[in-house]
Amino acid sequence: MKKRYSAVLVILLILLTLAPVFGQTKKQLTFLFMPGVQDPFYTTMEKGVRAKCKELGVNLIVAEYPKAWGPEYQVPILQAYAQRGGFDGLLIAPTSVDALKAPLKAIYDKGVEIITVDTFLGDGDYSKPNTDYNFPLSYIGSDNELGGKMIAEHLAKLVGEKGKVFCEATNPDVSSVAGRVKGFTEGVAEFPNMKLVGVEWCLDVQQKAQEQTLAALQKDKDIVGIFGTNVFSAQGANQAVVNAGLVGAIKIASWDATITNIDNLKKGVVDLVLAQKPGEMGSLGVEWLYKYLTQKVQVPKKVIPGFEFFTKDNVNDPAMQQYIYQ
Amino acid sequence: MSTDTVNQKSSLQERLGRNWIGIFIFLLVLIFSLSARAFFSVDTAQLIFFNGTEVFLLGIAELFVIITGGIDLSVGFVMGFSTVVASKLIVMFAGLGLPPLASILAGSVATMVIGLLPGLVNGWLVAYLRVPAFIATFSMLGVTHGISELMTQGIPTKNLPSLAGMIGNGSFLYRAPNGALSFFARPQVARGQTVIAILPNMVVFAFFFILIFAFILGRMKFGRHLYAIGGNIDAAIRSGINVKRDLIKAYVISSLFASLAGISYVMKYITGKPDAGANMLLEAIAAVVIGGASMAGGSGTVGRTILGALVIAILETGLRIIGMQTFMTYILVGAILILAVIIDQIFPNRNR
Repeated sequence: MKKRYSAVLVILLILLTLAPVFGQTKKQLTFLFMPGVQDPFYTTMEKGVRAKCKELGVNLIVAEYPKAWGPEYQVPILQAYAQRGGFDGLLIAPTSVDALKAPLKAIYDKGVEIITVDTFLGDGDYSKPNTDYNFPLSYIGSDNELGGKMIAEHLAKLVGEKGKVFCEATNPDVSSVAGRVKGFTEGVAEFPNMKLVGVEWCLDVQQKAQEQTLAALQKDKDIVGIFGTNVFSAQGANQAVVNAGLVGAIKIASWDATITNIDNLKKGVVDLVLAQKPGEMGSLGVEWLYKYLTQKVQVPKKVIPGFEFFTKDNVNDPAMQQYIYQ
Repeated sequence: MSTDTVNQKSSLQERLGRNWIGIFIFLLVLIFSLSARAFFSVDTAQLIFFNGTEVFLLGIAELFVIITGGIDLSVGFVMGFSTVVASKLIVMFAGLGLPPLASILAGSVATMVIGLLPGLVNGWLVAYLRVPAFIATFSMLGVTHGISELMTQGIPTKNLPSLAGMIGNGSFLYRAPNGALSFFARPQVARGQTVIAILPNMVVFAFFFILIFAFILGRMKFGRHLYAIGGNIDAAIRSGINVKRDLIKAYVISSLFASLAGISYVMKYITGKPDAGANMLLEAIAAVVIGGASMAGGSGTVGRTILGALVIAILETGLRIIGMQTFMTYILVGAILILAVIIDQIFPNRNR
C-alpha cells in the first residue's frame, strides 16, 4: 500500500511541476482589498473602496474577512489570494507591524503596488530609506494623536473647560491606542483649569474598565469627564458612573462611531463620539493606487483623513449618518 | 460467477476502500485545479505545505498519544505556551547581546527542552496516577494557557530579531531568472521578475523531525511497544513491556511536537501569544482520524497522518484560492471525519 501512495504522490508532484504558471494579463486594473478583521469599521471601509472602484472602472476583489485579529488569521488568506494573483494593486490593513513585512514584500516583489490603510508596517513612516518596510506607496489612516487632542478639546467644551478628567484606555501595546492617550494628555494640558488625574489600561475587558473607573471615582470624587479609548472602555466607564450615582455629572467621550457607540450616545451612556472615516480611507486608497498605476503620480507617503464628532445634538442629523460605521 | 472473480472484485473494492484518502486528495486537487487555474502550480503546493506546517506537527503530536489509546487535549495551548516561551527567550538572548542567529537557535533549543515538561506531567499523571488522559491533558490545557497569559500579560511578544521572520518566511533554495542558485537568501533581481523559491524553511524544519519520529515509530522497538499498549494494554504488561515508561515517552513526544509547532509559529509571525494554537486541536485530531487511526488505539502511522493533515491543508488553501469562504473548511473537515470513520468500519484494519 505504501508504494501505491508514493506513486500517487510522485505523479501529483510531477504534474504540479509540469504545470505552467499562468499569468493573467488584463488591460483593466484590478485591486485586492484585504481587511484586518470582520468588524463594522472594515465593512464601512469596503463600501468606500467599492464605490471608488466603480467610479474609476477598476475591478475589485475583496478578500475573505479574517475572523479574528492577528497575522495567523490574515497571512494565510493574503497568501492564498496572492497565489491566485490577477491584481495590480493591494489595499491592506496589516494586523501586525512586523509579521506582515515578509509576506507583503513577496507580493511587492511580484510587481504589485501596495497601500496600507488604517494600520501600518514598522513605524508607519515609509519615507525612511534603508528600512525593511519602506516599499508600500503610502499609509492612509487616522492621526490618533490628533484625534486624542481633539477629543480633549470637545470634552473641555462639554464640561466648561474646568475640572478633573480621567482616561480609561485599552492596551499600552497598541500604537493607535497609545497615540490617542498621548494626544488626549497633551490636549487636556492646554486648558489651565483642567487636570488629567489618571490613565488606566483595561486590556479590552469591560469589567476591568468598570472596576478601574470606580476606583478612580473613589479617589477623585470630583471627576467631570472621562475618555474611553474604545467601545469597551467607554461602556465600562459608564457602568461605573451609573453605579456611583453620578449620571449627568460626568461626561464620557468614546472613540469610533460603531452602531453600539451611537446607540449609547442616543441613550445617554456616552456624550461624545469621535468618528474616523474608514470609507474615506478606502476611497482615498483606491484613488491613489489608480493615479499611481495610470499616471505615475507621486503618492504622498502618509495621507490623513479627518474626524467627525457626534454629540446628542447632531446624532440624528441626516448629514452625519454617513459617518456611522455600518 | 466463480469464486475467483468474487474475490478479485472484493479485493479491488477493499483496495479502493483502503486507499480512499489518496484518491480523495487526487480528486481535491483535480477539482480545485479546474476551478482556478492558479491552483495548479508548484507555488501552491509549497504554500499548502507551508500553511499546513502546524497541522502536520500537531497531527504527529496527537498520533503518538492516540496510538496508545489516549488523547492529548493540551497540544494547542502547549503550542501557544511554546510561542510565548520561545519568543520571550529569543528577545531575552538578543537583549543579552547574543547575535540574532545564536539567540534564535538558543531560544528554540531551550523551548524544545521546556516543551517536554507538559508532556512529562501528562504522562506521569496518566501512567502512574491513572488519571484519565482526557482529564489530565484537559487540565494541562488550562495550566499552560494560564502560565502563558501570566507571562505575556495580554501583550503579544514583540521586538524579535528580523532574522527570525526571514528564516520563517524564507526558503531553502532560490533560483534567479538567469539560472543562478542561492541557498537561504533570496537573490536581488529587478522587480516583477520571478524568483523560484524551493522548499520553505519551516517545511524542511517540520519534516526533519517528522521523518526522525516516523522512523522511531515504524522501525524501532519503542514504536512497536506503543502499538502493543494501544492494542491491548494487559497483554503488553504481561509481555514485559515497561508500559508506564513508554506511556510517559508518548506524552513527552506529543508535547515536543506541540512545541515545534510553536517554534514554527514564532518564526513565521515573529511574535508569540497564548492563544496561537487555540483552535488547532480539532484539526490535529482530525488529521489522525482521517489518516485512519482508531481512537481506541493500536493503529495509525506517521505517513497516513500526514496525508490526513494534507487533506485539511489542501482544503484550507484551496477554498481560499478558488475564492470560497473558509468556513466551508469546518463543514467539510467534519464531513470527511465522519466519512473516514465509516470507511474504517467497512474496511477494518486497513493500517496493519
